[in-house]
Amino acid sequence: MHRFSATKMLLEHLGDRPVVANLGPSTDELWHSGDRDRNFYTYGSMGLCSSIALGMALSTDEQVISLDGDGSLLMNMGTIGTIGREVPSNLIVVVWDNEQWAQTGYQASHTAFGTDLEQVARGCGIEKTATVRDEEELLSVFHQALDEEGPWFIVAKIQEEEYLPVSPVEPEMTLYRFRKSFGD
Amino acid sequence: MNWAETITQSLKDNDVSLVAYVPDISIHQVTKILQDDPYFHVVSATREEEAIGIAAGAYAVGRNAAVFMQSSGFGNCINALASLCIPCRIPIPMFINMRGEVGEFNIAQVAMGRATRPILDVLGLPYYTLDTVDRLDQQVSGALQLCYASRQPLALCLTPMLHGGKIA
Repeated sequence: MHRFSATKMLLEHLGDRPVVANLGPSTDELWHSGDRDRNFYTYGSMGLCSSIALGMALSTDEQVISLDGDGSLLMNMGTIGTIGREVPSNLIVVVWDNEQWAQTGYQASHTAFGTDLEQVARGCGIEKTATVRDEEELLSVFHQALDEEGPWFIVAKIQEEEYLPVSPVEPEMTLYRFRKSFGD
Repeated sequence: MNWAETITQSLKDNDVSLVAYVPDISIHQVTKILQDDPYFHVVSATREEEAIGIAAGAYAVGRNAAVFMQSSGFGNCINALASLCIPCRIPIPMFINMRGEVGEFNIAQVAMGRATRPILDVLGLPYYTLDTVDRLDQQVSGALQLCYASRQPLALCLTPMLHGGKIA
């Protein structure tokens, strides 16, 4: 499974629900999949994608989707515990797991050596979890996540591919229009 | 009202209803009030930068959120401020309990305490020192108003002169 193709597929099924994307390729590929007001792109703050999504989920009734990465989440694994403690029923975390820090030179990440982020989530008390390896599986679980209360934690194993061009770096615009879409 | 109740009221007056925090014995005097008040959603974070991320997410969907931490942990959230809040213009009031000030008993707390304000300076973020209950409501409410008007994080530094500090 490739992240860009899978991102495009998810975008087709999530309506106008807010999405937070991890820095780097996850943000770039979300932009290339279809720029929208409710895409919250991140350009730094590595590790905080799902924390940002958690703060959103605790502050809106809408379902919030986090498109995180294995290397980033390893940097802030405590937030999985916080999700398990807060139990936000409207949060769906998808972890693009390529088992490497690809952007910095394809260094293998801990998930290539036995760290199982799904098991970490289960150990933190998150009951709705899955690990998927192709788009069909991902879509099936994602639909279930949209229909059933969460929090959901879905590890999507992906193969790295050639990067798309970097998307426009517009953090101020991202925040402004995202927030405006919630009425402020 | 004591200092902790004054801060609580100022948060309410400025529509700050989510608080993410990393525990500290002095700010516990505030967070225990917040936890008992249904107006607030208090989130216990595992690390200071996580607290910033949670507060940023709340603001992104229209809810004002503050962060409480100790100066020793402020260093854990510098990049979250520098690469998320500052470029996106996300206002987050940070209540930082200052260690390493008068009465400190632990040498390990001193350097980070002394570094906290200079780090805020080089980030271009304002800070205000809370060391007396005199006009505390004016100072805290004013800082919160400035935070949201300027759309950037700022710090309110709580000192032992305000709350008595941590007893060894």
